[in-house]
Order: sequence, then C-alpha cells, then structure tokens
Amino acid sequence: MFGPPAMLYILIGLTIALIAAVLLKPSVTSGAGGKILAFIALFLLPSLCVLAGVSSHVERSHETRFCISCHSMVNYGRSLYIDDANYIPAAHFQNHRVPPDAACAACHADYSVYGGLKDKWQGMRRVYMQYVSKPPNPITIPGGFSNRQCLRCHLGARSFEENPTHQAMMDSLRSGEFSCITSGCHDSIHNADQVDHLKMWRPQ
Amino acid sequence: MSEPDSRMARSLKIAGILIILGLIVEVISLVWFHPLAFVLFAFVGGALIFIGMAVYLASLAFAGSSTAGDGHPS
Repeated sequence: MFGPPAMLYILIGLTIALIAAVLLKPSVTSGAGGKILAFIALFLLPSLCVLAGVSSHVERSHETRFCISCHSMVNYGRSLYIDDANYIPAAHFQNHRVPPDAACAACHADYSVYGGLKDKWQGMRRVYMQYVSKPPNPITIPGGFSNRQCLRCHLGARSFEENPTHQAMMDSLRSGEFSCITSGCHDSIHNADQVDHLKMWRPQ
Repeated sequence: MSEPDSRMARSLKIAGILIILGLIVEVISLVWFHPLAFVLFAFVGGALIFIGMAVYLASLAFAGSSTAGDGHPS
C-alpha cells in the first residue's frame, strides 16, 4: 500500500508530533511514562528517521535519473539513447539488459565487499568536483573500467562463453589483462562528446 | 518548578526544536531530487538531529548528576 518513502514521511510526521507534544507539555516528563515517551520522541525515533533517510538516499542514488541530474553527466545520459547497437551502454539500456531505472549503477557499481562505501565516497568526491572544484574533462573512472563489471553478468552466459573470440582469451579477460572496452573490441561506449552528431532512438 | 526542572525543560525545548528542524531539512532533502540533496541531509539535517539528541542526552546526564549531588534521590 505504502512505499518506503511514504513510510518514512509518516515516521517523520509521527516523530515531529510526539516531540511537539513533549515540548508543549514538558511536565509529562516528570513521570516514568513521560520519561520513556521523551526518550522515544527525542532519541529513538529521530535515530530511526536518520537511518531510514540514509537508506532512502542511498537507494535513490542508484537511479539513472539521479546520476544524470549532474550537469556534467547529461551527455552520458543522452548516450543511452544512441540508435546504434554497437554502442554498448545504449544497447544494454534500450534492450533492458540492465534495469533502465538503475542503468548507471548496474554497470558502474563496485560489487566488492566494501564497494557500496567506496562508491558513495567517489560520489561525494564527484559532487565536490561539480560544485567546488572542476569536473575532469574527459570524465574518467579512477582505476579504469574493470572487466569484472562486464563478467559479473556475462560470465556463464551461453552466447558469451561459446563465442570463439572470448574462448581464446578467457584467461586474459578474467584477469583483466585484456580490457573488454579499451582493447579495440567493444570500444564504442558513451562517447559523450559525440552524442550531438549521432542518431538518437526515440522511444514510442 | 525547581531550578533543575526548569533547566531540564529548557534543554528539552532546545533539543526538540533542533530535532524538528533537522527532520524538516530531511524531508526537504528527500523531496529535492538533486545531487546536493544528500549533502543537505547529511551535513545540515543530520547535524541538527545529532546535536538535538546530544542536548537531550546531556540534559538527562546532568539531571541525573544533580539529583545524585543534592542527596535526595527521586
């Protein structure tokens, strides 16, 4: 019936109402029940609101529209609509090989144990670059784009495993010695500086 | 109302107002779909809420110590 954001708004509303009750009638805190009420209103519920708020912000930072809400990311968002199947992100996005609502995170999230934290740290650095210093031009991924991002889905997939080219270099692909996207095989990626000159797909 | 009680009531008021302000900032950050929304949430809303909770906890601690100090446990 209610999604997580609606539940969070209800929780925040309830917390504000309880705090207001304690503030309007502080004498209620003289009794044991009132002390417990004050503890719930001024400590437990606000802590819960902060935790739920962090979770909600982290959750929506995975959304495609969030990633491209930064000015410097606009052309990367537009590149998802390039009408050419050779462009890897566009082909994945348009054919729902990745969830369209979380397309950026699907290919760029760090899936290691502390990957989520590393991603958020990188995200904060990028916000700093966007608003305080200057975004790099071109925008690069620290450490480069790892094959692990591709192999997370493609490894074990029949069309990938049975491809003779992939079979011949499987060990190099697994070790990252040979890059999927910068070794000349799948090198049409976002090409954000060219999107103005490319034909775009317009979904019906 | 005794002095410790009025001090406690004042602390509760300050804590409550800070937390309510923090929660309002949190709602604004959730409605605002912008990369800076998380910064607003974490550094303004979160800070206000944490300071409010700290004021409340400190008031509890000081109320406890003043009760223990006057030799009249409640």
